[in-house]
Amino acid sequence: MRVLLSLAVVAVLAAGIVTVLRDVPFGGNSSRLGSHFVENGREDTGAANIVTSVVLGYRGFDTLGEVTVLFVAAVGLGALLVAGEKNAPRKLEKASMVLTTGSRFLFPLILLFGAYIFIHGHLTPGGGFQGGAIIASGYLLVYLGSRDRRLGKNWAASIETGGGLTFVLLGLAGLTAAGHWFLSNFLPLGVPGQLLSAGIIPIIYVAIGLKVGVELTGVIDSLMGGTE
Amino acid sequence: MVNPVLLLAVPMGLAFTVPVIERITGRVSRWVPVAAMLFNLVLCVRLIPAVLEGPVIVQLGGFVPPFGINLYVGPLGLFFAGLIALAGLVISVYSLTYIRTGPLARYHMLYILLLVGATGVALTGDLFNLFVFFEILCISSYALVAYNGDRAGLESSVKYLIQGSVGSSMLLVGIGMLYGIFGTLNMADIARSVGMVDQGVLFVPLIFMLGGLGVEAAIFPMNAWLPDAHSSAPSSISAVLSGIAIEVGLYAVARMVFTVFGISDLFLFLAFLGVLTLLIGEMCAFAQSNIKRMLAYSSIGQIGLILFALAVASGVTVTGGLFQFVNHTFSKGLLFLSAGYLIYRSGSMEISSLQGMGRRMPLTSLAFTVGSFSLVGLPPFAGFPGKFLIVRGALERGGTVIVVLTGLVLLCTILEGAYFFRVVQALYFREGISGGSGERAPAAAAVAMILLMMLILALGAYPQFAETFLRSAASDLMGAVEHVGSVL
Repeated sequence: MRVLLSLAVVAVLAAGIVTVLRDVPFGGNSSRLGSHFVENGREDTGAANIVTSVVLGYRGFDTLGEVTVLFVAAVGLGALLVAGEKNAPRKLEKASMVLTTGSRFLFPLILLFGAYIFIHGHLTPGGGFQGGAIIASGYLLVYLGSRDRRLGKNWAASIETGGGLTFVLLGLAGLTAAGHWFLSNFLPLGVPGQLLSAGIIPIIYVAIGLKVGVELTGVIDSLMGGTE
Repeated sequence: MVNPVLLLAVPMGLAFTVPVIERITGRVSRWVPVAAMLFNLVLCVRLIPAVLEGPVIVQLGGFVPPFGINLYVGPLGLFFAGLIALAGLVISVYSLTYIRTGPLARYHMLYILLLVGATGVALTGDLFNLFVFFEILCISSYALVAYNGDRAGLESSVKYLIQGSVGSSMLLVGIGMLYGIFGTLNMADIARSVGMVDQGVLFVPLIFMLGGLGVEAAIFPMNAWLPDAHSSAPSSISAVLSGIAIEVGLYAVARMVFTVFGISDLFLFLAFLGVLTLLIGEMCAFAQSNIKRMLAYSSIGQIGLILFALAVASGVTVTGGLFQFVNHTFSKGLLFLSAGYLIYRSGSMEISSLQGMGRRMPLTSLAFTVGSFSLVGLPPFAGFPGKFLIVRGALERGGTVIVVLTGLVLLCTILEGAYFFRVVQALYFREGISGGSGERAPAAAAVAMILLMMLILALGAYPQFAETFLRSAASDLMGAVEHVGSVL
C-alpha cells in the first residue's frame, strides 16, 4: 500500500515536471538574457570568456555569495571536527618512496596549472573555483606523500582573509569610484583577449583562486585530523 | 544617501577578517559580531526616511535588471534587516560571556554569516541570489546547531542537514523550472509575466519552491527537524534560529506567494496550513517536560499563527502578522536567553528542576516571565497588539471558514497560556530544590535580557510607532504591481 501510494505521488510529480519542461526549448536561444549576454558580454565586461562575463560581471554578487557559502562550509566543518575531536591522534604509516617522490615532482606543476586556470579565467574556460580546486588537489597529493607535513595555519588564515577582503573591498571601491554601484567594474576594460583586460575580473579571480585553494586544503586538513 | 548593499558587504567583510584577528589576538574576535550588527542597526535607522518615500533599488555591478542582480530595499526588506540587526546585536552581546568553550572564532564567523544570509534573503530581488543567501543561512545554522559537539547536537544537526538539503535542492529545481519558463531570474520580471503563461505549468515549480522554503520556515509537515535542532543548539543559537532563521524562511514563502507568483487561490489553503501548524505546535509544546523543547514547539506554533495572519491577506492581518514577527523575535529570544542561564544554574533542562528559581535568579526568572507573558499576548507587552490585530483583521474579513479558524487560533492561545504559566508557577510558587551550580547570569547576559525586556515593554506600550512603519511594510508585501513598477 505504501509503495503504491509513493508511486502515485512520484507519478503525479513526474507528470507535472514533464508539463513544465515540455515547452522549454533546450539548446535553442529561448531566453532574452542569454542572447543579451552573448551579444554584449564582451563589450560590457571586457572578458573574452562569456561564462566569466556572467559569473563575475552580470552576476558577480552571486559569486561573492558562493565564495561565502564555501567559506561557511569549510569553517563549519572545521568547527564540527574540533568539537568532535576527543580521541588521541591516529598512527600514520609512512608513504612509499614512489608516492613521496612522485608527489614532490608533481606538486609544483599542479600549482602552476591551477594558477594558470585562474589567472586566465577571463580568457579561457576556467576560473577561480576551478583553479582553486586544482591547487587543493596538489596539496592533497603532498598530504598523501609526506604525511607529517601540514599547511601553515598563519599563512592559511591570511590568504583566506586576504582573498575574501579583496573581493569585498573591490566591490566597495566600485561603490565610491565611477558607476556608484557595488562591484561595478571601475578599472579600464582593455582589449578583450589580452591578459591585462576586463578590469577587476582577473584580480577577483586570483583572489578567489587562492582563497578556494586554501579553503579546500583546509577541508582536507581537518578531515585528516590535523586540528588546531 | 547610504547604499543599502553595505548591510551585506560590511558584515561579510568583517567575517572574513576573523581568521586573521584570531591569529593575532584571541580575545577580540568575539566583539566582531557586536560591531557588525551595531553597524547594520545604525545603517537601517539611517535608511528609514529614504525607504518610506519609495523602495530603494540597488543595481549590483551597475547592470540594469533583469540583466544584473538587484536588491529591493522596500519597507518590508528594511524591516527585516533592522529586526535581524537588532536581535543579532542583543544576542551577540549575550554570547560574549555565554559561549566560553569550543572553537570560538569559528562560532563568531558562522554567527555573522548566518545573519548576513538572513539579511540577504530579506533584501534581494533576484531568485538565484535568494538561493545563494539561503544556503549561507542554512549551512551556517547546520554547523552552529552542533557547536557543543555533544551527541544530541550532532544527531539533530545531521537530521537538520538532511532535511534542509532536500529542501534546498527542491528550491533550486523550482528556480530552474521558473528560469526555463520565463527565461529570467529577476523576481519583478517574473511577476510581470506570470499572468501570461498557462497557470497549470506554474503548479509544479510553486510546489517545489514552497516545499523547499517551507522546510526552513518550519511549516507543517516539513518541521520534524526543528524541535531537536532548536533544543540541542547552544541557547544563543536557539534564540537566533527561532527568532530569525525560521521567520526569514516564512518571509521568503510570503514573497513567493504574494509577489512572484501572485496567486490568491492559494490563500485559504495556506491559512488552513497555518492553523494546522499552530495547533500541532502548541499541543506538542503543552506535552513537553523539557524546557527548550517546549520553547522550540512553541516556535512552530508562532510560525503557524503568522502564516495564518499573512494568508488571510487583509491589510490589518498582514500588519498584525509583521507585528507578531517582531514580538516573536524579541520574546522567544528573551525566553531562550534566560532559559540558557536557568539551565546552567539548575544543571538540567527539565521544567521540574527549575522550581524555586525565582528566588535564586530573580532577574533571569523575571526575563523568562516577561517573555512568556508577551508571547501569550497579555496586554502591557508586545504580544498583545500583534495578536489583537490578527484576530480583529480576520474577523473583519469575515467568511465562515476564516471565523472558525480564528476561533481555533484563540483556543491555541489558551493552550499557550497554560503551558507558559505552568513554568512561571514553577519558577515562583514552588518550593526550591537545592543543587546545581551557584552561577549567576553575568553582566553581558543581564544587559542583553534587560534590553529585550525594555523593547518588549516599549512596543507594548507604544505600538502605534511601529504600526505606522509596519503598515507600509504590509502594503509593500501585498503590492506586487508596485514592486514590478519600481524595479523595471
